[in-house]
Amino acid sequence: MTAARENVPDNIERILFTEEQVSARIAEVAAEISEKYRGRDLKLIAVLKGSVFFLTALARAITIPVKIDFLAISSFGGPSHGPTPGLVRIAKDLDEPIHDEDVLLVEDIVDTGFTTRYLLQTLAGRGPRSLGICTLLDRSVRRIVQVPIDFRCFEIPDRFVVGCGLDHRQLYRNLGYIAVLDPERG
Amino acid sequence: MAFLTISGDPSSRWEEVAHVVAQFMDFELVTQTRLAQWMTEEFGETPLDARAWAPAAVAILARLAREHPLVIALDGAEHLFRPAPWVLRARITTSDAHRAGKLMLDLRLEKPEALARLRALDDEQKRLRKARFGRASSDPASFDLTLNLANMDAAQAADMLAAAAAKRLDQQGLLSPNAADEIEFETRLELAKRGIVPAGRARMTRASFGHPSEEMFANLLDFYRIQWEYEPRSFPLQWDKDGRVTEAFTPDFYLPELDFYVEVTTMKQSLVTRKNRKVKLLRAIYPHINIQVFYQKDFQELVFKYGLKMVHS
Repeated sequence: MTAARENVPDNIERILFTEEQVSARIAEVAAEISEKYRGRDLKLIAVLKGSVFFLTALARAITIPVKIDFLAISSFGGPSHGPTPGLVRIAKDLDEPIHDEDVLLVEDIVDTGFTTRYLLQTLAGRGPRSLGICTLLDRSVRRIVQVPIDFRCFEIPDRFVVGCGLDHRQLYRNLGYIAVLDPERG
Repeated sequence: MAFLTISGDPSSRWEEVAHVVAQFMDFELVTQTRLAQWMTEEFGETPLDARAWAPAAVAILARLAREHPLVIALDGAEHLFRPAPWVLRARITTSDAHRAGKLMLDLRLEKPEALARLRALDDEQKRLRKARFGRASSDPASFDLTLNLANMDAAQAADMLAAAAAKRLDQQGLLSPNAADEIEFETRLELAKRGIVPAGRARMTRASFGHPSEEMFANLLDFYRIQWEYEPRSFPLQWDKDGRVTEAFTPDFYLPELDFYVEVTTMKQSLVTRKNRKVKLLRAIYPHINIQVFYQKDFQELVFKYGLKMVHS
């Protein structure tokens, strides 16, 4: 059900995509994925934490058998880095190898492409049979590193968004809709 | 130890390893672009004969290494210096499948195209090495260390090289002034025999950022292991009737792996408008140049999302 305004946090500026729109679009993309990978063993890999919500919804809508796995990477400016940002690293690795498997990297959002490029390079080095990207949101206006996106649910404008796994300081991931956040409000 | 040379097969990610080691060790990174700039400062605009390239490079690097240890990330870097306690020569290798995989990602190629491109890059590397060093490939004995990236990532390889370099530095110290003098003398003599005399003197300038946002962007690139160069090139945008450049634009960053320029801006709107005009003009005059503007709101989001601190000037 679409969130009534009274249930919407104060610093939400506007809702970009309602729960119904998100669900419908995920179902469409899931159908495309099911068709493309029919007869193959598909593994969905999600990046903790933001992509978990999208992975769950996507996997439930896909009609072919899928395996899932997770990885996590250190975040820029994260608490472990001290005065300098350090270096992106795998903070939690996959539980199983992906050699010779069809792998679909499931992302909540692709913007500059920095994170996605690192993940693709890491996964490509492990010899999967194929490697694709499915993203809930694509903010291509910010792209610096070109990455090949196979499936995208929504193209979004250059605004800060939360919901469906996307957070602001770990909050708002659980919103069922995707919304523009205004930090000045509320 | 003064020089850590890192080289490898095309698309084996040796440049990324070099970048990360330099970051870990706080050594100066010498890339092809940076060396080319120094060579222009020292020997002028006319390209040097291929066989003069190595002595010219060594003459510059030996002088600069007195100030700071260097990570030299150049094709054939292992041939620049004879074996010595003050040099550590590393080779990065990996399988053809991994090398092709990198090309598939970076250039968005299908596997057959990537393999064909890989062969072309291998041939180009051999041709360049033959011209500069008289040999197309490297003997394994030309290296002190060889690391295979088939089963480790660039950061792990960089960890190992940093440990080896730190040990060597601890045992041998920096390049002594006498050793530097000797190398410089030998190479200057060789250049003189070819009629090449320095016209100037290249200086090592560490990136001095014009704005804190540029430093943060450099940190962001370092974090994601993306090689960068700060303001490496200016593009003339307007000329007077005599052909003199009256307006030019120097993008803040160049990302050599991606062949991409980035202009960083967090300034007030009037200045942003002026920068946008320059970027638009640059795109019109140089349509083959890829450039993107990283705006204030992009930084706000970083600051906002990760709770970073940024000093505003």
